[in-house]
Amino acid sequence: MSVSPRIAIADTCFIIDWARYRNREIIFRVFDIVFIPEAVLREIKSGTTITWVARGLASGKLSLYTESEDEVEEARSLIIRSRRISHMIPVDLPEALCIVIGRRKGYTVLTENKGAIMATDIFDEYRDVIVWRALEILLTAQLEGVLSAECNDSSKVFKEYEEDTLHIFPRRDLIEAVNRIEQEICRQRGART
Amino acid sequence: MSRKYVDKEELEHRIRRWAELEEEARRIRREMADWEFIEKQEPRIKEALKYYIEKGDIRRASMLAGVDLEAFRDLLRKARIPVIV
Repeated sequence: MSVSPRIAIADTCFIIDWARYRNREIIFRVFDIVFIPEAVLREIKSGTTITWVARGLASGKLSLYTESEDEVEEARSLIIRSRRISHMIPVDLPEALCIVIGRRKGYTVLTENKGAIMATDIFDEYRDVIVWRALEILLTAQLEGVLSAECNDSSKVFKEYEEDTLHIFPRRDLIEAVNRIEQEICRQRGART
Repeated sequence: MSRKYVDKEELEHRIRRWAELEEEARRIRREMADWEFIEKQEPRIKEALKYYIEKGDIRRASMLAGVDLEAFRDLLRKARIPVIV
């Protein structure tokens, strides 16, 4: 039985935070392929991020995604629509492209851009796009045993990410993730001992 | 019916929900920010940081600051302004 590879496409806001995380390499055990669009690569400037991306590309763990004219056109349309809605944080080309590619190819979109997350909630044709923040990656990594969950402090992995990046997860989402760790991992461990 | 056009009431509901979440995030950014650091910055950077605290829009804020996205993200860290997503 063949299992479909798990493929992601990452935007700039995600990459620049994730590259600072102490366990950043785990992303390559959660996903089989992580694409970076050329538009995103052009925005990466700092040594820390460039080093991580360059090494990822060299080892084949990261792959460059060359966007088509058609994808760029759809992304531009999404940008314009996002700017027409007041109170919405508008999207720009790099994250709009990730959303469009995510919809067309079924890739998981990795983003920490609030506008991008809002867009997939507000515009119906993008509601099926799977969007993950670092929170979902860290949760999945623990549920799948890529990262060891600390049952004495079930929020430890998430706190480490917050410390490394000064990125804060919304409390209600964090509580939900921690509850899943406790229910799906820690209770089973407790039942075995 | 095309799924492209969301019912107006539903759309307003979704936007309202996001506005509530953003209000909470704004409060946390204001509380955690290092205001002394922010006030010491040159006017362009200072206003961009304040804009980010209010709006949470990193792209427009980095444009206001006149720096690239990564450099602005570093400024946010220095100013202890969290990104809440």
